[in-house]
Amino acid sequence: MKSKSIIYFLLPALLLTFLVTVFPLLYGFALGMMRKMPVFGISEFIGLDNFIFLLRDPRFQQSLWTTLKFTLISVPLELLLGLGFALLLREKIPGNALLKITLMIPWAIPTVVSAKMWEWIYNPEYGVLNYLLQSVNLLNESVNWLGHPLWTLPAIILADVWKTAPFAALLIYAGLQTIPEELYESAKIDGAGAFCRLFYITLPLIYPIILIVGIFRTMDAFRIFDLIYVMTGGGPANISETMSVYAYKLLFQTLQFGYGSAVSVAMFWIIALLSGVYVYVLHRKFKVLS
Amino acid sequence: MQLLLIVAFVFIFACTVEKNASETQQAQNDSTIVFKHFKLANARHAFQQAILQFEKQNPGVKVKEEILPSNSNIQHQFYVTSLESGSADFDVFLIDVIWAPEFSLAGWLEDLSALIPEEERIQFFSAPLRADMYQGKLYAVPWYIDAGVLYYRKDLLQKYGFSPPVSFDDLVHQAQTILNGEQNPTLNGFLWQGKQYEGLICTANEVISGFGGKILDENGRVRLTDNAVRSALNWLKDCIYTHRISPRWVLSADEESTRLSFLNGNAVFLRNWPYCWTFFQREESKVRGMVGTAPMPALPGINGKSTLGGWQLAVNRFSQKKELAKRFVRFMASPEVQLQFAIQVGTKPTRKPLYEDPRLIKEQPFIVQLFPILKNTVPRPVTPLYPQISQILQIEFSAILSNIRAVEPALESAQIQIEHVLEIEKLAFDKKSK
Repeated sequence: MKSKSIIYFLLPALLLTFLVTVFPLLYGFALGMMRKMPVFGISEFIGLDNFIFLLRDPRFQQSLWTTLKFTLISVPLELLLGLGFALLLREKIPGNALLKITLMIPWAIPTVVSAKMWEWIYNPEYGVLNYLLQSVNLLNESVNWLGHPLWTLPAIILADVWKTAPFAALLIYAGLQTIPEELYESAKIDGAGAFCRLFYITLPLIYPIILIVGIFRTMDAFRIFDLIYVMTGGGPANISETMSVYAYKLLFQTLQFGYGSAVSVAMFWIIALLSGVYVYVLHRKFKVLS
Repeated sequence: MQLLLIVAFVFIFACTVEKNASETQQAQNDSTIVFKHFKLANARHAFQQAILQFEKQNPGVKVKEEILPSNSNIQHQFYVTSLESGSADFDVFLIDVIWAPEFSLAGWLEDLSALIPEEERIQFFSAPLRADMYQGKLYAVPWYIDAGVLYYRKDLLQKYGFSPPVSFDDLVHQAQTILNGEQNPTLNGFLWQGKQYEGLICTANEVISGFGGKILDENGRVRLTDNAVRSALNWLKDCIYTHRISPRWVLSADEESTRLSFLNGNAVFLRNWPYCWTFFQREESKVRGMVGTAPMPALPGINGKSTLGGWQLAVNRFSQKKELAKRFVRFMASPEVQLQFAIQVGTKPTRKPLYEDPRLIKEQPFIVQLFPILKNTVPRPVTPLYPQISQILQIEFSAILSNIRAVEPALESAQIQIEHVLEIEKLAFDKKSK
């Protein structure tokens, strides 16, 4: 009786979850196996053809590679910066509260707004970055950060790190709060220096938190869309087109619902795989700790 | 048990009442049409006035406005998703000039051929009409027209004794002379839109036509490997790297960033749309009263061509009130309403005779002055597959201009990709007509 009634209570939640997550996901899988172009009235089942084509599609490969580069550079940078900020926040320095608030501002600004902001900062004519670099004689000539094939991706990564490092800092800071103060005190008495304390107490204890932040950020970085779409539209020469941007263009600009869904499904599996690796590592780490 | 019966009874009764209420609502709605359009700057009052007029002329009919953001990509996305599911939530809507073939092939637009009879069509500019036709039928009515314009600094050209450039060589020569003469490091020669987006295709389309080329010809053949196209892209590239009249940052420039730079007095020539004019005449503008407009340059013997832009009135095929909707389209596209909008908002009418109307000449001399440019517009490739074609071109043109790929291989690759895409259209069309 008891377990049966529990199911009844869970039913609405399960139904809702099914409607908003499981159903769209399955629908996406189904669409990925179709050639669906509403403009031409085409809607047919083609099995795995889309996925086979995807493996040969140079534009998909390029977008995958761009996404990987973006993720592999931006996530470690964010974790490092976030850790730095979190450690700074823990120190009882004057103005600490103000620091916390300022640090959170980039995270609170909507992405589209911050993308526009950075677009202005990078502008070669009136952008502040060129102005600053020129006034300290680091540059002789304005650089077109978002139009230069070499600089576009680093410029986007910088904007993303600026925006999301505070998120990492916030979570890591929360993790730091769980470390008992006595540990540090006794370490100090034993004569452990600041670095010793960091590497033998702090880092091992917040390692799981860092991994969790890593999962979140990797998943987000893999899906990066709005920042890039606003700043460069994928250009120049498609250098900054990530998988999400490509999928968006396929789905909503050229209306290839089938192939666009196939690209999204591929993204889903890659993210699932990555998360799987993280969770496996995390699980083992927790076992070691306990 | 009794209680249950009562509850059930009340419930059923409530439902019946509810149903009756919604039926009367339905009756009222029968004479209400929904007009979906984007937020056009400074046009709030003009829209309200026009709708009031229409309602007065058609007693009992109501027009409800529903407003979308002005970003054209977002509008496209909205219309695609709702029309794909056969939505009848709106009756009349505005579409971009490049969507007409795509939407009509999809079967989302009502055939409006009968709405504008043949003898009336000569009144309209021909390019937008051509862009609104698919397979011989008219699927949308041109409401206002837009075209690429070459803005120039009157004061600087006068100082060096130049008249507005007619050919590509003129433009390069004038820009270089002025840049050398002024010795002003913040001054640029020629600004245009070179970011990887639709604006790049608009710029390139004009230059290609100026060289006598075409992206797609009348027979639907891709012509990207023609000499004219190659010369056009080489010219744009040379503007940056050889002639050095365009700064490298045009590679990430859109309409707004180039407009701002020109407005601050930092450029001699600018390719942009007519909307910039009012900004240049404002008080904060550093080029107020110093700006002239000209058609885009072209090779000697060719008329300077401008890329066609603008918005069209269309009727939703799934609409329940097509007759009313058509009447409203007819009204909005009438000379009076077009003139009203031109005077109040600054939109450029699609009916040619209006450019001789004394009221327009008096109120909006700038619009009248644009007539020679508006007359000479070239549409971007008119095909339902335009979005795909544009994407391919954006990538390849951007690669050419940022010096990542050489002109010839990039154009050849674009040619092959687009031919492949057009192949799909043929297949799909055969399938549809079967």
